[in-house]
Amino acid sequence: MTPPLLHIENLAIHRGTYRILLPRLSLARGEVAAITGASGCGKSTLLEMIGLILRPEDLDRYELDERDAGAPLDIAALLRADRQARLADLRAQRLGFVPQSGGLLPFLDVRQNIALPRRMLGLPAGGERVEEAVERLGLRPLLHKKPAQLSIGERQRASFVRAIAHEPDLLLADEPTAALDPFQARRLFELIVETSQRLRIATLLVSHDWGLLRDCAIRRLVGVPEDGGGGTVFRDAA
Amino acid sequence: MRPDARPGWGLLAALASRDLWHDRQVSLCIVAALVAVIAPLLLLFGLKHGVVLQLRGELLDDPRNLEIRLLGNHDLDRAWFAHLAAQPGVGFVMPLTRSLNTQADLARDSQRFVADAEVIPSGPGDPLLGTRLAPPEGDRVLLSASAARRLEVGAGERIRLAVLRKLDGNSERGQRELTVAGVLPETAFSRPALLVPLDLLVAMEDFRDGFAVPALGFAAGRAPPPRERYARARVYAGSLDDVAPLAAWLEGQRIETGTRLREIESVKAVDRVLGLIFAVIAWTAAIGCVASLAGAFLANIDRKRKDLALLRLLGFRRIAVGAYVMVQAALLTSLAFALGYLAYLAGSTVFNRALGANLAADAFVCRLENLHILLAFASALLIAILVAAVGGYRAIHIQPAESLRDL
Repeated sequence: MTPPLLHIENLAIHRGTYRILLPRLSLARGEVAAITGASGCGKSTLLEMIGLILRPEDLDRYELDERDAGAPLDIAALLRADRQARLADLRAQRLGFVPQSGGLLPFLDVRQNIALPRRMLGLPAGGERVEEAVERLGLRPLLHKKPAQLSIGERQRASFVRAIAHEPDLLLADEPTAALDPFQARRLFELIVETSQRLRIATLLVSHDWGLLRDCAIRRLVGVPEDGGGGTVFRDAA
Repeated sequence: MRPDARPGWGLLAALASRDLWHDRQVSLCIVAALVAVIAPLLLLFGLKHGVVLQLRGELLDDPRNLEIRLLGNHDLDRAWFAHLAAQPGVGFVMPLTRSLNTQADLARDSQRFVADAEVIPSGPGDPLLGTRLAPPEGDRVLLSASAARRLEVGAGERIRLAVLRKLDGNSERGQRELTVAGVLPETAFSRPALLVPLDLLVAMEDFRDGFAVPALGFAAGRAPPPRERYARARVYAGSLDDVAPLAAWLEGQRIETGTRLREIESVKAVDRVLGLIFAVIAWTAAIGCVASLAGAFLANIDRKRKDLALLRLLGFRRIAVGAYVMVQAALLTSLAFALGYLAYLAGSTVFNRALGANLAADAFVCRLENLHILLAFASALLIAILVAAVGGYRAIHIQPAESLRDL
């Protein structure tokens, strides 16, 4: 059996006295999971910790599978030692982010925004997959527009293509469909799921939209109040 | 294959410049503020440098300003001359005979003559010659402009030099035919004078002292002893700054001197005063500029927090984001300096046209050397990058998570 891409045990942080805890999470390549829960329960915080941009206070294990090497990469050690530069490199090489409303650089046009992660890694600007995704998401006519000229839905789609342009192992999306109307939201959602499975990218997204998650048959990681109400524990939904 | 490459500096610079261009209204405001400081400072320093250079040039154009006149007659031997020549700052040294013996009559014919013209020994390096004229040699001598005018001679024509002596109650007239090799410029020497090789002047003194001097047509009598000692010397400093120390050294040798130190001092005083004025204005402007730059850069970084956080999220390292801010400062400053330099060129042309009208053709009022431009550019760049580094310090503490939230 192939090892999971991502394996985390006991990841926790305090926000004031409020504790956010993820006891255990394993994600395989191509697997899509959603973080859900009530507003303000710490979904984004959890995503930031998994995305290596927020340092957890407690962490027993965080491993990322290395395709070529034998042993998985010990991310927990890097986080504990606060190796910022190495973590930044990992973000550039192995992670892709879709922020809530695009997060495109305003001074680059859509094509340049999409090409940025690849250029950062010294890859040729447009890979086959990028061209394919641009086509499927209907971005072709928008390639030379600046983000300010795009609708929110268009920005989200461009942001998604950017997040997968460098063929990352792990895609993280923070409510990518929050600002979209239901029809657009469903379309983007389906594209994310379909693309992740096809490109074998493990995907973790924050979402409120239970109906959508159910329709797409997506694994859910639900934030439930901890005993006594002093925090949230994220567990796989039964 | 998983690429291990990290974001390069070229990409960072490309992003930084695209950002500036996208934001060109704000960029232009910052550039304009910088130009408003750089251009006047360049002009001001150009004026100071130009005026002082012009004044010093005028001093240098007149060789008398470099001259240290030895007053009275002395007894100076070869060793003394060697000692003097070894002093630092000596430009030109030439032995000179007793003051009364440095005069002679010059004549072209009975109508055109100069009585009691000064006869000055000269040689290679003589400041009186300027850069154009060759020193006198053998029979080829040089005339001062006024002597040439009175004799109505030019280069290539011949004149006669006459020296009188009383010997055993008889008046004798030593004579020598000479060729005019050239005429000194008007500014070099105002009185009628003749520049000759030292041996001719020595021959004149020997003749007056009663010795046989075949060079002046008197072969009979006692031959002069070999010349070891001179009464005086022509001494010139190598530069204006060397005049005072050299005069002091001569005073230390118990030789009274005459110099034009006062004129030199007044130019130096002008230099100091202008330097002070420039320094005060430059510091005031630089402090104002730093304050305005700091404000502009910091406000800019606050405005761009989201973008900087996003760069961090995408995997740019902290140091790269700090560098991003500094690259932008350097680009803005380079552009501002280029524009400021153009403004300086325009302004200095106006100054030189308007104020330089009563100066010589190649004169200037406002001028900067390449080194000044280079230093000015380097300091502007340094200041801007230091100020940006403060902002950069702030920028590297922007958390990448800021780009994910509350957009």
